[in-house]
Amino acid sequence: MRISLFNVTATIEHGCRGFQKLGSSSFQGETARLLGAFSQIRAASGPSKGLLPGPYPQTPEERAAAAKKYNMRVEDYEPIPDNGEGYGDYPQLPDRSQHERDPWYSWDHPDLRRNWGEPIHWDFDMFIRNRVDTSPSPVAWRTMCKHLFGFVGFMLLMFYLGEKFPSYQPVAPKQYPYSNLHLERGEDPEKQPEEVKHFNI
Amino acid sequence: MGAHLARRYITETETEPDPAKPFGFDPEFGFGERKEREMVASQAQMNLAQVPVLQRDYCAHHLIKLMKCKRDNWPNFLACKHERHDWDYCEHQDYVMRMKEYERERRLQMRKKRVEEAQAA
Repeated sequence: MRISLFNVTATIEHGCRGFQKLGSSSFQGETARLLGAFSQIRAASGPSKGLLPGPYPQTPEERAAAAKKYNMRVEDYEPIPDNGEGYGDYPQLPDRSQHERDPWYSWDHPDLRRNWGEPIHWDFDMFIRNRVDTSPSPVAWRTMCKHLFGFVGFMLLMFYLGEKFPSYQPVAPKQYPYSNLHLERGEDPEKQPEEVKHFNI
Repeated sequence: MGAHLARRYITETETEPDPAKPFGFDPEFGFGERKEREMVASQAQMNLAQVPVLQRDYCAHHLIKLMKCKRDNWPNFLACKHERHDWDYCEHQDYVMRMKEYERERRLQMRKKRVEEAQAA
């Protein structure tokens, strides 16, 4: 979500006013006060702290709390495995794009095929209907590959054979007068062409 | 139709002539006397008539007559039947000569093979 400039300036001013208030007390805690002042600078929009993703849940209670936070049932909730990449407690949802969802059900957001409050996939922006489509192909992938490459391979083979064994009519090459049209073909007029004789048969 | 292809690629691969290669036998061989083909239209005439290069064969004089007839009778595109027939007939005879040449080459190749086998035996 975009933080509007007005919000930023308002919070900075508020933070600065807070700094001025603290500035009236002793000189010693100045560093702490500086850090304290900056921790007050935060966008006024967006989810509250309780709704933001948190660290990876370790205990069953943390799991239950995280499931409730993401509007999921405890049985369904499964966090993304903790491999150090920093997903925290974000749920692992199936990698299915919005194309696969029922087009006839009356979704709250028909274009996104999503209801209000539904947990959002990590790659939701990739899975919208304008982008990546994970719908199953009409025929198995292997079959499609076999058919396509089989056909293309067959055609290549046949064209190759056609080059090796060309088909032609059982006739001699056509006979042209004037030494095989020596001048008409644009050859050197000075050079004497070899004598070509054609006969009736 | 296509028997020559079966002969060329499967049964008689050595003797069936390849039209892409020049025919090696002496043109007078086997004939008592052979008449030369006569070219009627001269090079200057073909140039003036702007005959396309690939159509400057031994039937070009008929083609030039046909072109003139068509130009004189346009837009009556049905007018030049006689000239067209003459040109077509000349081209047909030319094609038949080509077929005969091919067959002559083939028979000479087979004869050559027979002679070689008789000598080898």
